Amino acid sequence: MNIFRNLTAGLKELVRRDKCESELSEELNAYLQNAADAKVQAGATPEEALHSARVELGGVETVKDEVRAVGWEFALEVFAQDVRYGVRMLRKSPLFTAVAVTAIAIGIGANTAMFSLVDAILLRPLPYPESQRLVVVGTQQRGRSGMDLMGTADFLAWRDHQQSFEQVAVLDQASRSFALSGTGAPERIPGVRVSANFFSIFRVAPLKGRGFQHGEDRPGTPGVVVISEHFWRDHLGSDPEVLNRTLTLDGKLHTIVGVMPAGFRFPSRKPVDVWAIRTLNPPAARPPYGLVGLGRLKPSVSARKAVAELNDFAAQVTAQYPSSPNLVGVMMPMKEWMISDVSTALLVLLGAIALVLLIAVVNVANLLLARAKVRQREVAVRMALGASRKRVVRQLLTESAVLSLLGGAIGLLLAYLAIRAFLAVGPGQMPRLEEVGINSGVLLFTFAVCVGSGILFGLAPALETSRPSLIEPLKDTNRSSSASAYRTHRALLVLEVALALIVMIGSGLLVRSFVRLSDVNPGIQTDHVITAAISLPNKYADPSQITQFWQQFLEKVQTLPGVKAASITMSLPPNLLAITNPFTVEGQGYDRNYPLQLAEEATVSPDYFRSLGIPLMKGRFFSPSDKVESDKDHMIVIVNETMAKQYFGDKDPIGRRIQTGDPDPSSPWETIVGVVGDVKYSGLDSGPGPTLYVPYNENGWVMWAREMYLVVRSSGSAPGIVPAIRTQLASMDSTIPLAQIRTMDELLDESLVQQRFRAWLVSGFATIALLLSAIGIYALISYSVSQRTREIGVRIALGAQRSNVLGLVVREGLQVLAFGLLLGLVGALSATRIMRSLLYSTSATDALSFIATSFTLIAVALLACYIPARRATKVDPMVALRYE
Amino acid sequence: MPDKNTPLVQGTLDMLILKTLALEPMHAYGIGLRIEQISKGVFQVNPGSLFPAFKRLERAGWLDSEWRATGNNRRAKYYVLTSSGRKQLKSETRDWKAQSVAIARILEA
Repeated sequence: MNIFRNLTAGLKELVRRDKCESELSEELNAYLQNAADAKVQAGATPEEALHSARVELGGVETVKDEVRAVGWEFALEVFAQDVRYGVRMLRKSPLFTAVAVTAIAIGIGANTAMFSLVDAILLRPLPYPESQRLVVVGTQQRGRSGMDLMGTADFLAWRDHQQSFEQVAVLDQASRSFALSGTGAPERIPGVRVSANFFSIFRVAPLKGRGFQHGEDRPGTPGVVVISEHFWRDHLGSDPEVLNRTLTLDGKLHTIVGVMPAGFRFPSRKPVDVWAIRTLNPPAARPPYGLVGLGRLKPSVSARKAVAELNDFAAQVTAQYPSSPNLVGVMMPMKEWMISDVSTALLVLLGAIALVLLIAVVNVANLLLARAKVRQREVAVRMALGASRKRVVRQLLTESAVLSLLGGAIGLLLAYLAIRAFLAVGPGQMPRLEEVGINSGVLLFTFAVCVGSGILFGLAPALETSRPSLIEPLKDTNRSSSASAYRTHRALLVLEVALALIVMIGSGLLVRSFVRLSDVNPGIQTDHVITAAISLPNKYADPSQITQFWQQFLEKVQTLPGVKAASITMSLPPNLLAITNPFTVEGQGYDRNYPLQLAEEATVSPDYFRSLGIPLMKGRFFSPSDKVESDKDHMIVIVNETMAKQYFGDKDPIGRRIQTGDPDPSSPWETIVGVVGDVKYSGLDSGPGPTLYVPYNENGWVMWAREMYLVVRSSGSAPGIVPAIRTQLASMDSTIPLAQIRTMDELLDESLVQQRFRAWLVSGFATIALLLSAIGIYALISYSVSQRTREIGVRIALGAQRSNVLGLVVREGLQVLAFGLLLGLVGALSATRIMRSLLYSTSATDALSFIATSFTLIAVALLACYIPARRATKVDPMVALRYE
Repeated sequence: MPDKNTPLVQGTLDMLILKTLALEPMHAYGIGLRIEQISKGVFQVNPGSLFPAFKRLERAGWLDSEWRATGNNRRAKYYVLTSSGRKQLKSETRDWKAQSVAIARILEA
C-alpha cells in the first residue's frame, strides 16, 4: 500500500472535512437517483422507486459512517472526540480534577527530575566521540581489590612501549588547584596537571588555539596551560588575543596555548579553570603513586588484552625497582570510574520516587473508583444507546490519559524547577552535573510515564464503571452499593499502604544511618578551630626556605590575640587525607608477594595535636627542638592507638622502629616517640586503621610541605581571627592566597553532604507517601461510611452504642492497614537490601527502623480512619432512615 | 432474488470491483449493478460495503475518481482503474485461480 498517498489523503480529509463530506453525500445521492431511475424504468412510480432505493441502501448515515471508518484519520477523530468529552467531564468536577492532577504532577515531576539525573549521569555515554573506548588505568598490589594510582615509572613504561591504546596520558591526582598570582589579589583557582596527550584522548577540539603537543611534558620544557572557556570569560574578559598570554600558577610562568569549549570539564566533579602541563621526570624511585592513567583503546583491542599488556609493564617496573611491591595493572571504563560512588544512591532514589508515583497513581485510581458510582449511570445510558464496552473503556481511558498528561505537563514544570534548584546546590557532589537537563530522552520518559500511569490508574475504574449491568445503575437507588468496586478499592489501598511503608522504611534506614554517622567521633575537639589551605610558590625552592617560611608564619599567627595554638598539616580530618604510605615494623618481616600494610600519613608541625585537641596516650608530641632536618638526624614518628595495638599489642611501642615507603632494607629507620588517639582522615564512615604522623620539616618530607593546611585553635570566635591571619600571611608574601577557609565544624558538615542530601530527599519522598496513603485511607472510610449511612442509622435506632459503631467502621480500616503492613514489611525486607552499601553501621533490616516507621504509619492511618468513623457515630437515625 | 443471494467470499469484493472497472470507468451504482448482472444475480452487492471498498481501493492507489455526466444526464462519481490497480487485478486474479483450482481439487478428491 502506498503509505504516502494514504497519509496525504487522510490529511486532506481532515483538513477539508466539509468538502469531503459533501462529496460523499453527493455520491450517495447520485447512487440513489440511479437506483430509482432503474426502478422507474422497471415500472415503479417515482415515489415508490426512491423509497425502495433508500431501503436498499440501508440508511445514508450508516453508510457514511462505514466509509469514514476506512481511513486512519477516523481513529484520530474518535480520539479527539474522546479527549473533548474527557475534558468536559473533568471540568464538571473541578475539585476531583485538581486533587488528581496535583497528585500526578508531584509524582511525575519528581520522577522526571530524578530520571534526568540518572539519564545524564548513569545512562548516557560520556560526551566524547567513541567514549566507550575511554578507560582509566591504575595499579594495585597483587591480592588487593580496587584501583590505586600509578607512579611516574609505571606511566613512562606504559606510555613508551604500549601497543593497545591510541593515546595514553595521566592526570596528577595531587594537583587540584593552583595559586594564581600577578593578576590582582592572589587567589586559588581550580585546575589539574595533565600530561601531553591528555586532550587528544578525548578528541575534543579546542575553542581557540590547541591542546598540548607531544613532548611538551618532557623535563626542561617551558610551562604551558590550557584554560576553560569559563576562566577565559571571567578572568581574561574573553580577550581575543588570549593565546600566548601568560599566567603565574604556583609562582611559575605558564603560557596559554589553548581555550577549551564550555562543554569540556573533565575530570568534571568540580569546575576546572586550567589544565597545566605535568612535567614527567624519569624517577629515581617507583613511589610516589599519584597519577591517574587515562587511555583510549584501539578499536581492535579487547580489554583483556590491554590489561595483560598493563600487567607485563607492571612486572617489568617491579623488576626494575626491586624494593617496590608486586603491582598489577588495573583498568576500568572511564564512565564507571567517574560515577561509581553515586550510582547506587541514584538508583535507590529513583526507585523510591517511582514507588511514590505508584502510590499517587493508586490514590488517583481510588478517587476514580469513588467516582465510578456517579459515572455508572451516565455510562449505562451510553451503553443502553448502543456503545460497546470496548468503546466505553476506551473513552474512560482517554479521560484518564488526559488527566495524567495534564498532571505530567505541570510535573514537567516542577521537574524543571527542581533540577534548577538541584544544580544550584549540587556541584561538587556528583559528576557530570553539567550534562543534566530536560532533553528529548527525558521528555520521552515523562510522556511514557504519563501514558503508563494514565492507563494504570484508569483501567480498574474504567472496567468497574463499564461493568455490563444495565439495570442496576439505571434504577438510581442508594442501595445498589457496588460490592466489587469496593473490593477493588480496598485491594488498591492495601497496595498503597504497602508501597508507602517500603518508602518509609527506606527513609528510616537512611536517616538512622545518617544520625549514626553524624555521631561518629572524629577523634578531635571540633569547636573553635579554623582551617585554611596555603601553598607556597615554586620560588620556595629548597628545604630551608620552606621551613623558615612556616616557622616564621606560625610564630606570627601564634602571637595573635585569641590564638591558642597554630599549626600546619598535610591531611585534615574528617576526609581530607593527602596520602597513604606502606610501612614495615622492625622485626616483623615483609613478604613481597603479600600486600603491604598501608597507613594514613600526615606531616605536621609540633602544635598540630594541641590545635585539634588530639589526646596523647603515651610518649610525647613533637617538639620544636626535635632535630629532623638533615639525613644524619634521628627520624621520629608518632603513631595512633589502633596502630600501636595492632602491631605492638600489650608491649610498649615507644622506642620501637619502623620503615615507610616501599620496603627497602636501606631505608632509614623511624623511631616511635608517641602514641595519640585515633582520628578519622578518610571520612567519618571509614574504619579504624593505622595512622602515622611525621614532622613536616623532616628531611624526606619537607619538599612536600609547600601545600599545607593551616589549623588554628582560638579562644573566641574562630572565623573572627581570619582577617588577622590574612594580614600576617600578606606581610610574609603578598602573592600567596589564604584559600578554602573553613571551621572544623564546617568541614565535618561538608563531609556528610551526600549522606545528608540522600536522607533528606528520601524523607521527603516518605512524607509524601505517608500523606498520600493517609488521604487514601480517609477517602475509603468516608466512602464506606457514606454508603452505610442507612445501615448505621438502623443499628443506632436499634440501640447500638456509639463505640460499637466506631469499632465497626474502624475495623474496616484496620483490616486494610494490617494487610498493607504485612505486604509492605515483606516488600521492604527485599527492597532495602539494595541500599546496603549506602548505610553506615545500620543493617538493611534494622529492627528499630522497621518498627518505628510501621508505628508511624499505623498512627497516621488510625487518625485517617478515626475522623470519618467519628462522623458515622454522629449519624442521626431519623435522618439516615429518611435518606432513601 | 434474495433466495439465490450468496454472501461474497471475504476479500473478493475488491477484486470484483477492480475487474468491473477493467472494462471501462463506471460509477458506484453501475459497478454494483454490473457485478449483480454478470454473476446472474448470485452476488448482490450491499452499498454499505461498496462505498467503504471504494475508499479503501482509492487509498491504496488502485483507483482514481472523477465526476462525469451519466447517460441519463445526471452527474456521478466515476471510478477509473489506475495502472497499479491493473497490476493488482492481474496478481489477484492469478492468486485466485491458483487457489480455486486447489480448492476444487481438494473438494473432488
